[in-house]
Amino acid sequence: MNPAFQEERELMLQLQEADFVVVELTLYTDTHPNDQDALNQWREAIKRASAIRRQYESRYGPLSLHSIPTEQAIEAGWRWNQPPWPWQR
Amino acid sequence: MWVYEKKLLYPVKVDTCNPKLAKYLMEQYGGADGELAAALRYMNQRYTVPDKVIGVLNDIATEEFSHLEMIATMIYKLTKDATPEQLVEAGLGAHFVNHGHDLFYENAGNVPFTATYIQAKGDPIADLYEDIAAEEKARATYQWIIDVSDDTSLNDALRFLRERENVHSLRFRESVEILKEERDRKKFF
Repeated sequence: MNPAFQEERELMLQLQEADFVVVELTLYTDTHPNDQDALNQWREAIKRASAIRRQYESRYGPLSLHSIPTEQAIEAGWRWNQPPWPWQR
Repeated sequence: MWVYEKKLLYPVKVDTCNPKLAKYLMEQYGGADGELAAALRYMNQRYTVPDKVIGVLNDIATEEFSHLEMIATMIYKLTKDATPEQLVEAGLGAHFVNHGHDLFYENAGNVPFTATYIQAKGDPIADLYEDIAAEEKARATYQWIIDVSDDTSLNDALRFLRERENVHSLRFRESVEILKEERDRKKFF
């Protein structure tokens, strides 16, 4: 596998993991609203996922239109309507 | 509203073109206990349930749509390179003549999705019991698919989805307890 491609894959996987922790802790805190420890973990998980997302998106372009495309990403040819879509990866 | 994220909830890889496995997976795409039924059921129930359980219905419904996308990705990857002959051999001949290589919301037996698979009873506890049953049935379906699948890459993602059904079932069980507690409190004061 081309090394640049591999790096992108690895960072995507890190983001998927970090985002999943947020999904899981959100459901947990939905039914345990007074669990202070869980609420702290949830805040930390969001912080961590957000940092990894910034790292990914600044390099490879936005994953959603809530992020501003960097000039670097636009210059490198990033466009929203550009493959691969998730099912094509 | 929703905002699209150009990524899957969990990576989906498949080892080989395998239209027969894709046919089985359609049970989780457009079947009675599948991801579409789950997503639509919870999304519709959330409007009228007590505030304490809106979050869990909203958030699980949203996650179900990401599961639906994973199942679609599996079916797509397992069938995209299949010839019409391979599709016929896998039992997807009827699907092919109606839909070509497109996906369709139907179950493993080619029965189209119907809203009669889901209910909204106007009784939050009755609805949550249906939701728990739905998660348990989906978990069982994942297990049966894993049992007949020899695609190790695909099975990794299927095991992830099977485990999510367990977690959702647990959160719905907790939601029932939250509502019962609230109901009992109202009775005494």
